[in-house]
Parts: sequence; structure tokens; C-alpha cells
Amino acid sequence: MNPAEELKNALPNSVLSVGIQTNKPLAVIKKEDMLKVAAKVRDMGFDNLSVITGVDCVDRIEVIYNFFSYKKKQNLALKVVLDRSSPEIDSVVSIWKVADWLERETYDLVGIKFNGHPDLMRILLPEGWIGYPLRKDYDMKTEQFVTIGEDGEDIVSTDGSNLLRGQ
Amino acid sequence: METETLLLNMGPVHPSTHGVLRFKLRMDGEIIRDCQVVVGYLHRGTEKLGEMKTYLQFVPYTDRLDYIAAMPNNYSYVKAVEELAGIEVPLRAEYIRVLVMELNRIVNHLVFMGSLLLDLGASTMIMYGFREREKALQLYESLCGARMTFNYIRPGGVREDLPDGFIPKLREFIKDMEKRIPDYEDLINGNEIFLMRMKNIGVINAEEAINSGMTGPSLRGSGVDYDIRKVEPYSIYPDLDFKACMRSECDSLARYLVRVDEMRESLHILEQIADTMPEGKFINQRYGMAPTTGAPTAVMSFFPRIFTPRAGEVYSRIEAPKGELGFYVASDGTTKPYRVKIRSPSFCNLVALPKMVAGLKIPDLIAAFGTIDVVLGDVDR
Repeated sequence: MNPAEELKNALPNSVLSVGIQTNKPLAVIKKEDMLKVAAKVRDMGFDNLSVITGVDCVDRIEVIYNFFSYKKKQNLALKVVLDRSSPEIDSVVSIWKVADWLERETYDLVGIKFNGHPDLMRILLPEGWIGYPLRKDYDMKTEQFVTIGEDGEDIVSTDGSNLLRGQ
Repeated sequence: METETLLLNMGPVHPSTHGVLRFKLRMDGEIIRDCQVVVGYLHRGTEKLGEMKTYLQFVPYTDRLDYIAAMPNNYSYVKAVEELAGIEVPLRAEYIRVLVMELNRIVNHLVFMGSLLLDLGASTMIMYGFREREKALQLYESLCGARMTFNYIRPGGVREDLPDGFIPKLREFIKDMEKRIPDYEDLINGNEIFLMRMKNIGVINAEEAINSGMTGPSLRGSGVDYDIRKVEPYSIYPDLDFKACMRSECDSLARYLVRVDEMRESLHILEQIADTMPEGKFINQRYGMAPTTGAPTAVMSFFPRIFTPRAGEVYSRIEAPKGELGFYVASDGTTKPYRVKIRSPSFCNLVALPKMVAGLKIPDLIAAFGTIDVVLGDVDR
């Protein structure tokens, strides 16, 4: 029995379906039960959260978590489907510390809100950036200009007016 | 005595941050109370570019992630695409791929040693490191014309076959390096100042390291016997004789020593490949057309430039010199990836840094940061 089926047996109400993510067992779970499932996944021995991926599928947003267990040498992938108009999910920082940066990155580029994250702000792009670049409808035609202000904060504008400071 | 804490900005432009990286430090006198890492200064939107290029066109962009060791980047992406599209790779191509990746591991660790020692104030090692690296770069130049950004590994195999006389030159390099590594050890390992700067500095235990997403040599310095080449073998690694180097001291010195040992293991792998390199095709020709008459076959790639994998998703990872490098690739059945996600080792290894340096001094931050071995192109993507 692979880990995804094991998870389905343990939490039949939270796991919607099991499948395969090319060679890796995959479980699609309910978004409301994220924390419950995450705690179970940790107890099953998955101590390494490899990566969190957000995918904009136009009609929905998917979040994919890839886990690895150092103890059992097994892989597991979790998938959660979110509503595209307000993508929100519970943060797993309390269980895997690496999720801190991975969730910030997903928030930054795909625009998924992680409830309960201690410091959910942009990580790769400057604070104040307009739009989420990895959304399929991201406006790539509008240029954005960034400068670092006197107080160390990023200033973003679309017309370059912030580049003229001091004049 | 009550003292005020002071906010100190270190970077983004600072010689010891190996690029553009900023630390926001809350200092209590000389002691670091809190360290916040600010990244993103080198963000180029690589993942977005991946969605706009065909599968083959994206390969050169992967070179620009970890530009110190670009071959594993090429390979990790290509491996994901191959798994997704079910492309077979000839045995000779796999041997060539592992050869260039292990050579890159040595290059990476030479740059690591050089820059770490330079950060600590010893400028000799970077000269030695770059001298040896130059020989490896010349090997790469003879192979694919580029020294750092190779664009060499591609779906189905590699771009070109090994040039004449490559293996003898490789053997010379191996022989030379085998003499050099003891030299470095004589120079560095017994140095009292070096030991004082490295021992018991930046300690992180195995459990915390795993929880913070640390991988690669940095994790193996914390006593976790974990190497993707061993745990989830890919390519021809199951046929090769090597061991995953590990130390259990959990400090900066352990992370340094693991990398020195890894260079020896990589040399051992290169030796085996030089002895057993099979004859055959260097790229899968089954899907492609026959070579045009008169064209120099050695520089022809037979694999089609545009191909469409079936719809699906894959997460594939390899042991890059800095840790677990993974690519998540989703296909919607068109000629371009629907989504490319890069799980870079440098990015995830940095998560543990604030924990490692709390309570230490700024010079210790530089030492601990140096032993994590990050490249900012890989952090910011």
C-alpha cells in the first residue's frame, strides 16, 4: 500500500482521491482539512517538505506539496484545489519550518494566501509590486519601476515617477 | 548592564555575500540577536520564462540559475521533461552526463573552498582553487564551447559527442587533482585560525536541519546520511562505486570537510567513467530524421526541436553540488510547459541560517554563511 492510500485509509473524509504524479503517489485533499492532514503526514514519517508549487489553472488554483521521508525513503505528493477568486489555505509553517519561505514565494508569485503564516510578505519581488506574475492573466505589458527609499522600503510605480526623487 | 539593540544592514552589496543578498541584523553590542535574510535582488522571472519557451528553448535559462555548476541544472530540468515525455536516453549519453556533472561538482567545491577561505581572510586558496578550476573549464570548452553556461544536456541525450582526446585530458585532470587535494588539506585543515573560526560555529542539529529544508552537503554535515544519488538513484549512479560523505559534528567545519571528501568521491566516479565509457549514440535518434548528407554529423542533434509530452505533471530531483535541485514541470499537451517550478537548494538552505547564527558575532555569520554555499542566481531565480 502506498503512502497516499495509507493516508486515505487513515482520513477517509479528508482525502478526496488518490492518484499518481509520475512515479510519486498523490493524494488530493480537502482544503479545510489541510492542518489535520499535514499533522498526519508528519506522523507518517514525512519529515522533509521538498517544495510547494502553486499552479494557476485559469478556472481554479492548485497547490501541490511534495514530501519525502528520510526514515522510510518514500515520496508523497498532496494536492489541494482552491477557489481562484480568493485562494486561501492554512499555513504549515508550524510543522515544517521550510514552509516559511516556500509559502512566501508561492504567495509572492501566484498570489495564494496562507492563513496563519507568521510573516506573509513578498520575498522575491519588492513589496508593493502590482499583480502576481505566475498567474496566467498577469499583465506583462505594463512596466514597473522599483527604487529603494531612504528608509529602506521599496517604492514601486508604473510611470517611473519614483525614479525622479531628489529633483 | 542594559544595552540597546541596534539594527544593522549588511548588504545587498557586500563582498562576503557572494552576490546581492541583504542581512537585517538586530545587534546587541557585538552579538547577533536576530538575523533576517532579504533576497530577491537577482530575480529574473525564470519560472515565467519557462512558460513562454518550448521545452528545448528553456534549457539555456537553467544555466543561469546556479552558474557556478550549471550542468546539474541542465540535467535536472531535462530529466523532468524526459520522465514526463517518456524519452529514452542512450547509455553513452548517460555516461557523458554523469561525467560532466561530477566534474561540475569538483568545480563547485573548488570555488566553495576558495571563496570561503577568502571570506575568512586567507587569499591563497582562491588562487589555487581557480587554477584547478581553469583546467576543468578548458575541458568544458573543448566539449561544448562554453565555460560556464553550457546548454549541453538536452532531452534525449547530450548536444555533441566527446571530442577527440577528451578522456586522456580528463585522466590528466584526475591525476593532477589527486595530488592537489592533499595540498589543500595541508594548507587549510590544520590551520589554527581556520579551526577557531569554524569549530562549533553555526551549529544546527539533524532534526532542525531537516525541518528547515536543508539538503546536500550542508545536511550531511549535520549527520544525516542522505544523498539522492544513493536514496533515489538516477542515471547510471547505481552502477558506480562511491559513498555518500557524512560528518556528525553539525558545525561549519563539518560542512567544509564533507565537501572536501566529496571531491575525492567525484574523482573516483570520474575514474570509473573514464575506464568504462561505452561506445554508442550520444543522443536518442529514434524520433528524429536521418542526418543530411554532407553535414558534419558530430554537431548534429537528431532529437526534434519541438515535441509535445502528454498532459501531466512531474516532480523530479537530483543531488546537485549544493543540495536537492528539483523541477516541477506540468504539461497541458502543447509544445510549451504549462508551469515550471524550480526547487533550488540555495534558497531552501538559507531558511536555516538565522537559527544557526543567533547569539554569534558578525564574523561568525560570514563563516557560517560561507559553509552553506549559496549562489544568488539560484536563490532568486
